[in-house]
Amino acid sequence: MSAASLLRTVCTTGRPAICLLAAIVLFAAIAAPSPAFAHAALITTEPADGAVLAQNPAQFSLTFSEPASPLVLTLVQPDGTPVPLTSFRLNGQTIEIDNPQTLGSGTHVLSWRVISADGHPVGGSVLFSIGAPSAAPAVSEAVDRGLRSAIWIGKVFLYIGLFIGVGGAFAIAWLAKGGHSGRRIVIAAILCGLVAAPLSLGLQGLDALGAPFARLAQPGVWQAGLGTSFGWTVLVALVALGLGLLSLVGPRGGAKLFALAGLAGVGAALAASGHASAAEPQWLTRPMVFLHGAGIAFWAGALAPLGLAMRRKPVEAAPFLRRFSQAILPVVAVLAATGIVLAVIQVQAPAALLESTYGRLLLIKLALLFFLFTLAVINRWKLTGPAEAGETEVQRRLCRSIGIEMLIVLAIFGVAAGWRFTPPPRALAIAAVQPASVHIHTPKAMADLSITPGHVGPVAASIVIMTGDFGPLDASQVTLVLSKPDSGIEPIKRAATKRGDGTWRVDDLVVPVPGRWTARLDILISDFEIVKIEAPIDIRP
Amino acid sequence: MNTYLLSACALLALGTGTAFAHVTLETQEAAVGSTYKAILRVPHGCAGKATTAVRVQIPEGVISVKPMPKAGWTLQVKKGKYEKSYQLYDETVTSGAREVDWSGGSLPDEFYDEFDFRGTLAVDLPAGQTLYFPVVQECDGAAERWIEIPAAGQDEDALEYPAPGLKLAPKK
Repeated sequence: MSAASLLRTVCTTGRPAICLLAAIVLFAAIAAPSPAFAHAALITTEPADGAVLAQNPAQFSLTFSEPASPLVLTLVQPDGTPVPLTSFRLNGQTIEIDNPQTLGSGTHVLSWRVISADGHPVGGSVLFSIGAPSAAPAVSEAVDRGLRSAIWIGKVFLYIGLFIGVGGAFAIAWLAKGGHSGRRIVIAAILCGLVAAPLSLGLQGLDALGAPFARLAQPGVWQAGLGTSFGWTVLVALVALGLGLLSLVGPRGGAKLFALAGLAGVGAALAASGHASAAEPQWLTRPMVFLHGAGIAFWAGALAPLGLAMRRKPVEAAPFLRRFSQAILPVVAVLAATGIVLAVIQVQAPAALLESTYGRLLLIKLALLFFLFTLAVINRWKLTGPAEAGETEVQRRLCRSIGIEMLIVLAIFGVAAGWRFTPPPRALAIAAVQPASVHIHTPKAMADLSITPGHVGPVAASIVIMTGDFGPLDASQVTLVLSKPDSGIEPIKRAATKRGDGTWRVDDLVVPVPGRWTARLDILISDFEIVKIEAPIDIRP
Repeated sequence: MNTYLLSACALLALGTGTAFAHVTLETQEAAVGSTYKAILRVPHGCAGKATTAVRVQIPEGVISVKPMPKAGWTLQVKKGKYEKSYQLYDETVTSGAREVDWSGGSLPDEFYDEFDFRGTLAVDLPAGQTLYFPVVQECDGAAERWIEIPAAGQDEDALEYPAPGLKLAPKK
């Protein structure tokens, strides 16, 4: 509802149908399903998920697809008691965690919540057992819809503050040249942002710690939020918002300078966190995000002051309109170019546009952009000339058109804020190649089997074998047998070859269907002695 | 009796189709303390290939083993220490044949042959249990290993390559 009231505040045309359309788009962005995939994907853990250890591990480690820092690390003991893990070191993409105590036998859960450069917290858990598995203690990772909505609304308000507010201040200082139309709206937008920015930090802290709303007042939550890369976004955004406000209400001489610095601050704030800024290569993505953000602020910011100027003081507005229409072409070119580069990096394959939530949001955004560009092109080439010449009817049409542009821009903000909850196909692709792994433990022999990638299609299997008491096991032959009796598939049997590093590998393997397979390892220990061990393994679609 | 026969027939018909392809012992029950003549039946080669070697591991407790030579095959006995000493008549035996190999022959897939040896089943072998004689059947570049021993409670029919078994009867 607050999204709708926001729309009303900024709505200049007063057309309910358009407001409704924008509201629907915003709602769709909230309601879009958000898969629980990791943004920074977990690659390996020590101990491995499902591992059975003979003795107490001295430390744990988590390795991610990109450097990540821990927010909350908890070890849940077999009886359900959580033990916070506070001693850890970052080593590249690996987090090494000290085990503070001697663990009793049974199944433990290493619950982790980390944040990577994109500023989006992700969590998960690793199950391992000491001695023998027991019933796993319950650890839940529920999605807090209320918190998500609040984060989303905070983000939209922050965008309004940065793009319409700071961008508007820039337009007033540089393009309107003395005109004051739209000044109130721009100040209101900046104030919006000044409220939303710190609040977003607290919400980010809640998300980082996986904490409920009730803990918003706790300082630890705010510290956690500030500790994430989003903390930088908020700090830089506050500076940018302050500069924007200063250019409007401060000394006249410095207005232009403050506005320009504010615009740069908008770009910098966006480049400090988010999926796009976290993507590799950083030397390319961060400047791209900076330019994209500054470009949006230039364009979106100019709309409100320009529209209002045209409606109220058409004569004074003519030079404003001329300056804007001259500058907008290169700005749009930069926006489009940077947007395309970032989309290519994030989406990777065209098919991902439809297959992932991230891609679908991008498509919605592109559809909205299409309308926006159509309007902009009509404005630029059909209406601007006559409007500058002083045709009042055309000026009125241009006003209306700018109003609609504003609404579409708001809808785009809503969609873009929805990306906060969806991992980009780039991260999904990293997650998709993660192996399916299983640890098989019997008194006679043990094995760690991983099938990479862990989904249907051509895969490679890697097998490490040990004796039942964790000793080296020198087998003369290892055969992998995959079977899925419920799908009527005959067992797939492949002899493994031994690699120099002591692992056994099967390369020429194709897993035809997803689901729960039975993996059996036939380990020939000596001429007359064979051990067959098996365990279920889940293959993703 | 009739129903017994019928169900036995049904078992044979429905049982694993590969049952006849297994390397088995002709006599599958013998008393401990007796002399046992083991006849290993090799019904065919490895996936169509001719058998070129048959190697059998002598389980602990089978002592004083003597294999029967076969024309066209090189016979070799690998001797070693037993895990414990056995009393054979008045003699204490501590070592003997641990593995018997017939190699260098050729038994085409479409033919059948037997490989024999005799030995004494030590008196202290546990009557009522099954003794397994793991066999490796080698063909040109391939091998079939009849070496699987069922775990406690496991159904022998579930095994893909069961080792030939001998049920131990009480001493007569």
